[in-house]
Amino acid sequence: MPKSKVVRREKPRERFSYDPTKVLSKLEEYGRRILEDIKSGKNPYFDIPMRGLNNVYFDEKRRVIRMGDKLSRRYFLNVAHARKFMQTLLIMAYVKRLVSEGKHASLREAYYANKHTIPGTKENTFEDQRESDPIIEDLERMLGVLREEMHLTADRRGYIYGDIVIRDGEDEFNTSKLGMGGWAVPGTVEHLQFPEINVDYALVVETAAMADRLIEEKFPKKEKALIIATQGQASRGVRRLIHRLHYEEGLPIIVFTDGDPYGWYIYSTIKQGSINLAYLSDKLATPEARFVGMTMDDIERYGLKNVTEKLKGIPPNKKGGPTGDYKRILEEMEYPWFQNKEWQRQLKMAVKMGVRIEQQALANKSLEFVAKRYLPEKINSGDLLP
Amino acid sequence: MAEASQLFKEFKIQSVSEFFRRNAAMLGYTGKIRSLTTVVHEAVTNSLDACEEAGIAPYIRVEIEELGREHYKVIVEDNGPGIPEKYITHVFGKMLAGTKAHRNIQSRGQQGIGISGAVMFAQITSGKATRVITSTGGDKTIEAWVKIDVDKNEGKIVKKEKHPNPKGWRGTRIELEVKNVRYIRSKQGVYWYLKLTAIANPHAHIELIEPDGKLIVFPRSSEEVPKPPVEMKPHPRGVLTDDVYRMAKKTRRNTVKRFLVGEFSRISDKKIDELIEYIAALRLIKTEGDKNVQEQLYERLMKGEVKAVLRSFRGYTKVVKQVAKIMEKPPEKLTWHEAEEIVEAFKYMKFLAPPTHGLRPIGEENIEKGLRGILKPEFVTAVTRPPKVYSGGIPFQVEVGLAYGGEIPAGFELLRYANRVPLLFDAGSCVTTLAARSIDWKRYKVDDLDRAPVVLMINVISVHVPYTGTGKQSIANVEEIQNEIRLAIMDAARKLQTYLSGKHRKLYQVKRKKTFEKYVPEIARALSILTGEEEDAVKTYFLTFIEGHFKAKESELGEVSENA
Repeated sequence: MPKSKVVRREKPRERFSYDPTKVLSKLEEYGRRILEDIKSGKNPYFDIPMRGLNNVYFDEKRRVIRMGDKLSRRYFLNVAHARKFMQTLLIMAYVKRLVSEGKHASLREAYYANKHTIPGTKENTFEDQRESDPIIEDLERMLGVLREEMHLTADRRGYIYGDIVIRDGEDEFNTSKLGMGGWAVPGTVEHLQFPEINVDYALVVETAAMADRLIEEKFPKKEKALIIATQGQASRGVRRLIHRLHYEEGLPIIVFTDGDPYGWYIYSTIKQGSINLAYLSDKLATPEARFVGMTMDDIERYGLKNVTEKLKGIPPNKKGGPTGDYKRILEEMEYPWFQNKEWQRQLKMAVKMGVRIEQQALANKSLEFVAKRYLPEKINSGDLLP
Repeated sequence: MAEASQLFKEFKIQSVSEFFRRNAAMLGYTGKIRSLTTVVHEAVTNSLDACEEAGIAPYIRVEIEELGREHYKVIVEDNGPGIPEKYITHVFGKMLAGTKAHRNIQSRGQQGIGISGAVMFAQITSGKATRVITSTGGDKTIEAWVKIDVDKNEGKIVKKEKHPNPKGWRGTRIELEVKNVRYIRSKQGVYWYLKLTAIANPHAHIELIEPDGKLIVFPRSSEEVPKPPVEMKPHPRGVLTDDVYRMAKKTRRNTVKRFLVGEFSRISDKKIDELIEYIAALRLIKTEGDKNVQEQLYERLMKGEVKAVLRSFRGYTKVVKQVAKIMEKPPEKLTWHEAEEIVEAFKYMKFLAPPTHGLRPIGEENIEKGLRGILKPEFVTAVTRPPKVYSGGIPFQVEVGLAYGGEIPAGFELLRYANRVPLLFDAGSCVTTLAARSIDWKRYKVDDLDRAPVVLMINVISVHVPYTGTGKQSIANVEEIQNEIRLAIMDAARKLQTYLSGKHRKLYQVKRKKTFEKYVPEIARALSILTGEEEDAVKTYFLTFIEGHFKAKESELGEVSENA
């Protein structure tokens, strides 16, 4: 029986755009401006878009969290700024060397590479990685360039499995031919190219256990899906990969998480971006992503009541509440991107029922249930949440 | 019952010397440490006063020799004018015979008891005469051993020798042998006393040889010898009936009016007319029967409405004429009652403040020199307040010096002086202590006074310092004096505050500058990588920029402090 595909690959909307010379020229431009300031007797400074909740907003049109235009100016000749001013330049020079030499460094390596005692003092250029990481974030926002584009990588987390071919430097491989473990997503995905894609959509799975289950059940092959395991909150590499696959390759994105506040939050981050990385939403968020489960309706529909778990914390109608999970859910109900009937209904239901449901709960039916029935049924009928 | 003549057999006239022999405590001879300090004090004070009167920069050498247990020889030598032979017994032998007793004058000494008291103390503790070697700079020096005949209150020279004086030495050296005293380097001891004396007398060079042979020098830090104080006529507000009565008997003026105008300050012919009216008014008020009306009249008189008060009585001109006659009498005919009336009227009248030319403050400049020379502080300031009056007519003046940091150890130190004489005892009850403690030092950037390296010196000058007791070591808490001390301290403390905040600001600026400079090499290397510009060139740009910025800041600060 030919499947009636609701979900299929669309036309690409973005082109692969990574260009190292762009990063280098931006760095040089900033350096030159500082030098000109000091030569003409002006107090040199950096304008850095402010981080934090005060400087983010939800862009209704593009449906992503975006950064506002509030700037903080970092002067050299200011006792409170001087050290950070110096650190900023140090990292900039380091990035310039990394990018021009085509090498990558982890955040920790970047910290150690730039840490040393300032001559004639007992002070170090960086005392702690907690000092260098924010400087790197500042640079991302200031230059409008991803950390990954500056060849600075975070620890890798998450993997993919499916019939796509990836070109990574000199290597080319099909991610469904690397064994059951798939291919681990690196910190930086900027340089990856996708010469061949034989899947209809990408299924983003919260837990590695569920991803493993689906691979074992040969779900990717049967459903022509690419499995992307986030292993909890999606790393930047994974989010960037999702974004690229969607916009550059036209793959629909379907997210499969636990039916609890944390799972919904993971979905929200993939879809709208996060407050912390609001300045990167254009590169990391995928507003067209949709949600397959777990939903509160699933409990009823699939008779999973006996495998739900109680929400933690005090419900809003009880004294001292809401706390814990209840509080998180009520917060999420306030998110602009959850302001639609379906989501409000789901979240209200969760509070009312006072339960959460894990992806693995589906194993209560049978090990094959999720791969053979739950997912194909919901995805192919388009029974997805926005 | 015994006959009166029998009782009075035992009645003897006690000489002044005898009285003080029995009451040595009144002269400061209490305690083993203090007694020694008092002996030194009397000799040094004499030397300083003599040098000042002769216009000589004092050079004083004090030597304490230990002869046995609680037995010392005190030697004080000066380069003063010397003592003419015939005055030696007067100076050292007679109590209450000094040159300054009974004069309205600011003085260091203790009404002429001073050095003779020391001679007496030596005599009653060791039995030895005091050896005096002196020369007025002629061809002879005189060496005399002086004792006091206690019964007759007279000095007597036990032995006298004359020596040639080929080098023309001038000065006085006295040697007293005393027992029952002890030398300790304490805050009540000779060392501390001389140190304080040196601070308040920067024109004096003072040396001390301690019993163990150690020489301590407090060098002169000012070349200016202060002028001796001058006598002042009493101010009408400060006199008692007895003063007026006795002065009237002694005067050579021929009328009461001339006597009052001539021998009191601030009394003019015009004031005499006013005085007549006031006395007349007071006489008339006393005739009023109604107590309430009387009270009101006194009050109006106090407000200066003397003419109106007079007019409210019928035939007042007659009384005025009567009183006017008193003023034309010869002064020796002035009765006690009339003197009483005059003094009572003085209380109601307004007078100019007493003249203060008799007060001799150390002066701001000299206080600073003294503190700087002896204490070696990092900062010093001094304030000499203008003269003021207490009790309506006694002029006084307050000056303070404030020294901070440098070689001064942590911990607040108060140096108290009355007429330049250090006060070593009874600090707790002294008005200077109360005033110093009443200041909110935190307001002046001294956060913890008891741990700050601060020395505060207070000098109260007056022809009559109101001591709390016979020991003359503590100044009474007179409101006017306390206020003046407080104002002086606050004034000095403000200067200290300016200094401290300036210092903090400067330190802060230096620290700031260093903060920026230390990052320059790092920044230069990074910018050189980013732009390709020579690293050293970048470094120079930044250092020049910082230098320029702080230069501008410094001149800004300079202007601010000039304005302040």
